[in-house]
Amino acid sequence: MTRSKAPKFTQIGLVVAAAVTALVTAGTLAAAAPSPAVKTAIATRQANFKKMGAAMKTLNEQLKADAPNKAAMAGAAKALLAAARAQPKLFPAGSGPSSGVKTEALANIWTDRATFDGQMTKLLGEANKLVGATSGGNADAIRAQYKATGASCSSCHRQFRADT
Amino acid sequence: MTDTAASASAPRFARIWDAPVRLFHWLLVALIAFSWWSGEQHEMDWHRLSGYSILALLVFRLFWGFAGSRTARFAQFVRGPGAVLAYARNIGRRPYAGSDGHNALGGWSVILLLAAIAAMVTAGLFAVDVDGLESGPLADYVSFDQGRAAAEVHEAMFNVLLALIALHVLAILFYLVWHRRNLIRPMVSGRRALDATEAASDLRWSPWKAALGVVLAAACAYAVSQGLRF
Repeated sequence: MTRSKAPKFTQIGLVVAAAVTALVTAGTLAAAAPSPAVKTAIATRQANFKKMGAAMKTLNEQLKADAPNKAAMAGAAKALLAAARAQPKLFPAGSGPSSGVKTEALANIWTDRATFDGQMTKLLGEANKLVGATSGGNADAIRAQYKATGASCSSCHRQFRADT
Repeated sequence: MTDTAASASAPRFARIWDAPVRLFHWLLVALIAFSWWSGEQHEMDWHRLSGYSILALLVFRLFWGFAGSRTARFAQFVRGPGAVLAYARNIGRRPYAGSDGHNALGGWSVILLLAAIAAMVTAGLFAVDVDGLESGPLADYVSFDQGRAAAEVHEAMFNVLLALIALHVLAILFYLVWHRRNLIRPMVSGRRALDATEAASDLRWSPWKAALGVVLAAACAYAVSQGLRF
């Protein structure tokens, strides 16, 4: 009795194992093969965020210096604005955590898109004001606007970026 | 007659850790805990201050490894592979014979812990946060990408440090349970009970040298906190 049962269970087990393997493989392939457009969008937005981070680092250093370099600050503000302008278009559907590409973008960007877009608009406003402040050249005004811009980065990141 | 009876029953004590070593140890414990907490809370002003304090502690300990009491000196507790292997082979043997300060294996645990903390502090000095808003005092000398890489090393080193701390605590538990040796109390009081056959050796250290070490440590930490710009 038990001897005749054993092969049957083995067969069922094999079928189940094969099915699971097939599913996992399919899932892995689907996840590992995002469309080129999605890949480009993710890579481009990440490069832009790095440019913004680098611009903020430059501003931070110049504002700490005894004699801040005005040209460096104005250049950083313009680079930040240019990168920020490109960002809203770089979050197409399917470019979130489910894309299979390494990204810290949280899924709620796409489920709460209105709030996310509002944060992007806020960033653009602050970046524009930052360009204005740096062209003015008053260190205190630049510092205040640098902080306001940084606050818009942090507030959006708290909502929409994975904290690693 | 009464003398020998008294000395056989009442435990005799020897001083094994000098006050600066004990102060260093417990301040380091507190500051690592505070660094973790302030980092998690994004309290970066506090996190930086805590890091500078740890840097000062490291500089002091390095100095004290040459100027401190017998058991604090690297020359006394950093042993070659032969001594380490010999110690490790007999680690479970009872009764356990106490070491004069760090044992051959524990000495390397100290070196590893100090190296891990030094690596973590160094990476932190150059680290930049993802938004370019917060940074270590030496981040001005590196690019944004290099600063981000330093931040990643800083984070990864924390896991290494946690593993080493876990090993440290497990080793202390091993001595407590297996050998019935409490190693925690001496790190508080500075003293341990001597075995019946052990001779007490003195522990000497100079407060002046300790003061010099504190000044040196504070000066180094201050210079680094200012980004080495004056």
